[in-house]
Amino acid sequence: MTEPARIRNFCIVAHIDHGKSTLADRLLELTHAVSAREMREQFLDRMDLERERGITIKAAAVRLLFERGDDAYVLNLIDTPGHVDFTYEVSRSLAACEGAILLVDAAQGIEAQTLANYHLIRDAGLAVVAAINKIDLPQADPDRTAAEVAELVGVPVDQVHRVSAKTGAGVPELLDAVIRRVPPPKGNAEDALRALVFDSTYDSYRGVITYVRVVDGTLPTRGRIRFMATGTVTEAEEAGVFAPGPSPVQELSAGEVGYLVAGVKDVHQAKVGDTITLAAQPAAQALPGYREPKPMVWSGLYPAEGGDYADLRDALDRLRLSDAALVYEPESSLALGFGFRCGFLGLLHMDIVKERLEREFDLELIATAPNVEFHVIRGDEVTVVHNPSEMPVPGTYDRVEEPFVVATVVTPSEYLGPVLELCQARRGSLVDMRYLSPERAEVHYLLPLAEIIFDFFDQLKSRTRGYASLDYDHWGYEESDLVRVDVLLHGDAVDAFSAVVHRDKAQQYGRQMAERLRELIPRQLFDVAIQAAIGNRIVARETVKAKRKDVLAKCYGGDITRKRKLLERQKAGKARMRRVGRVDVPQEAFIAALRVDRRSAGGSK
Amino acid sequence: MSGLYVHVPFCLTRCGYCDFNAYAGLGHLADRYASALRREAAIAAPAWRGVRVDTVFFGGGTPTTLAPSTLVGILSELKERFEIAPDAEVTVEANPETVLAALERVHGAGSVRRAFAAAGGAGFDNVNVDLIFGTPGETMSSWRRTLEEALALGPAHVSCYALTVEPATPLGRRVAAGVSATPDPDVQAELYEAVVESLGAEGYVHYEVSNWARPGFECRHNLGYWRREAYLGLGAGAHSHRDGRRWWNVRPPMAYLEEVERGALPTGGEERLGAGEATLEEVFLGLRTRTGVPAASVPAGREEPYMAAGLLSRREDRFVLTDRGMFLAGEVATGLVG
Repeated sequence: MTEPARIRNFCIVAHIDHGKSTLADRLLELTHAVSAREMREQFLDRMDLERERGITIKAAAVRLLFERGDDAYVLNLIDTPGHVDFTYEVSRSLAACEGAILLVDAAQGIEAQTLANYHLIRDAGLAVVAAINKIDLPQADPDRTAAEVAELVGVPVDQVHRVSAKTGAGVPELLDAVIRRVPPPKGNAEDALRALVFDSTYDSYRGVITYVRVVDGTLPTRGRIRFMATGTVTEAEEAGVFAPGPSPVQELSAGEVGYLVAGVKDVHQAKVGDTITLAAQPAAQALPGYREPKPMVWSGLYPAEGGDYADLRDALDRLRLSDAALVYEPESSLALGFGFRCGFLGLLHMDIVKERLEREFDLELIATAPNVEFHVIRGDEVTVVHNPSEMPVPGTYDRVEEPFVVATVVTPSEYLGPVLELCQARRGSLVDMRYLSPERAEVHYLLPLAEIIFDFFDQLKSRTRGYASLDYDHWGYEESDLVRVDVLLHGDAVDAFSAVVHRDKAQQYGRQMAERLRELIPRQLFDVAIQAAIGNRIVARETVKAKRKDVLAKCYGGDITRKRKLLERQKAGKARMRRVGRVDVPQEAFIAALRVDRRSAGGSK
Repeated sequence: MSGLYVHVPFCLTRCGYCDFNAYAGLGHLADRYASALRREAAIAAPAWRGVRVDTVFFGGGTPTTLAPSTLVGILSELKERFEIAPDAEVTVEANPETVLAALERVHGAGSVRRAFAAAGGAGFDNVNVDLIFGTPGETMSSWRRTLEEALALGPAHVSCYALTVEPATPLGRRVAAGVSATPDPDVQAELYEAVVESLGAEGYVHYEVSNWARPGFECRHNLGYWRREAYLGLGAGAHSHRDGRRWWNVRPPMAYLEEVERGALPTGGEERLGAGEATLEEVFLGLRTRTGVPAASVPAGREEPYMAAGLLSRREDRFVLTDRGMFLAGEVATGLVG
């Protein structure tokens, strides 16, 4: 047990590529956590990929020992995910800290993620140690960036640390400031146990490994514990700390940070944000802030080959053990067969899940275009719609609400015009705008989440030559004039192509889909009408003309084998088609038509 | 019914669209090749004892690049080795220029007329004209003029082929590189309808996808292929079929010569047809002709979309393609087979 006065729990928050991992490397060196022989660049990131002592490592928290004069300190560096999809997880990691280093690239200046992160750490009540990084770079502008940061944080400019994580310049002083300015943890080792689960990882041998911050009391290595929100009661097996590899300890007491293995086989029994207490002497009240994961983005996942449905179901059931945020329910599509409507925290989470399903479970998937959750309101009754094809027809409800976000965009001033134009075009309303410096501005817009998940980030990057950055925070549901657009092939609606869009954009969506499908659908024996419709009203129409030629003109000389093989291939291709009404559509056409050019917002770290 | 096919892989020039086993500039091998053909006939013949041969077809390449006496010599050898029926049909493919080579070298439509007349004069009672349509740039009016010119010759048999771009040809490579246009299938379909209409009006019977003939002048040899009868192919790359076995000779002329000259059968490969393969063949080959396919070989109901689309009709206990259906024979065949 370490005396709380000697403990500092902190994190580093930074925009992507502003030097967070490199700074962590210097801290590991400075505290002799890693020997010079073992040291590699981005040490903690790389540990993710390795297994040590039978535990899958995720460097969510690392314990550093630092001697300052005669005093020895325990510093717990807690990792925070850097993506907007995981804002809730970030908030729990921050709740495990008393302070944060706000790190800003001296050449890039403040970015959208810097702002979003700063607001999170300020709201969490953390002590902020501001620093600018990469001061050794020729293009760095330390004075300007330090002024921006000082202005943001509200401190004199000389309190903004100037460091080079690469060379190590200024890092000892920064660490010193962490000890001076970050308060030691409060909490009482004598009280009933309350430990916050701020992250978890899944190990196929040892089950769920939770990362915990003990707030009150003492977490023993043995004995029955209870997860207060889920009610799971289990036996503690091993408590330990990462230094930086996992090393077991006798106990973790108030103020300490570490990991706990407790024979939990499913992350749903030990969710992020939950409070661990002793089964025998439970705390009266759980720690505040627990929340169920809330899916924001939905998509239908279908096996590319119809027969793989059972495999997909098994894969999702397995994946769910290690991903508490993933939700799914079976659904069927006339066009795509049997599959699942899946809910994700955001686009990045969706991509991660899809990639894991394909890579770890060897599945080939068709994903429908992602959509948000709609609330259809009739009188007092609210219907939640996760699949656009289930949106009721106009006239049967009073109004529809969709989720909005407050988006933060930081852009060089010269691109302010195009940024504002883009936000307006995406049904945004301006909340706030100000200049960080004469060269750079921050803009806050209220925007429908549906617009963000379409291709907002790509558009933003292309209109600002890559210089603007984006982050956003969920705002809530607001009424919108939304309609369902259906796409019909030869009179039959293709459910997978239905979309809920704003009325002003319905025709544009319909036209785009019809044009795209005209290119993708092979000619049939008859003219195929491709129509886009809102209810009964056709808003776009294209035609795939009937096929008139499909014959081997010359079929003699006796080589029947070659011709037959050509036809066998053609027949096999036909067998792989999916039938919509009377129209045969190749699988590739569905995949291509559903592919929307878009990229998730924000960075990955 | 059974046939003999003799492949002559020589041409004066190589046509850009052609992917047949044919070569320009190998004329010096002609005599050696002719000897090899006769030798192969001698080696292969014992297995065909007791089989009556009804048709002999010299194809290529351009068989008429061989001297008339050489062709006659090969035919005599075949008559000696095989049991060729007295009324057998004997066909030879020709390029107008090669027919006229001994007389004069004239290019263009004039040479066609002269060659056609020469063939008739020499005693051929069924002279066919091969035409290709749908080359990029061809219009309906130019194609109609071609047809009229061809019909003016009064041929007993006319073949009209839609130009097909084969990847492994100079044309195929030009199309792939974007230098040549791809033939437009819709334009080809319209030109095809023009053939159906004008040859039909002239009394020709549309007896196969690409073939028309005066009644009684159908090519019996080719019908043998479509009816899956037995045939023996002689020469480089020639294909044979008998009792569900298909086999083929080695394709390169030099390899063929070497095999035969050491007294071996020059077989390059073979396959034995399974039930499914045999059915697909029966359907797709049968559909190409006016005989069509037995309704019993089509799983019930599969014909419906094609009947509804006017591509297929039922004639007693058989399904037969309509004229329009003929140009979609591949689509219908793959749809009818289970």
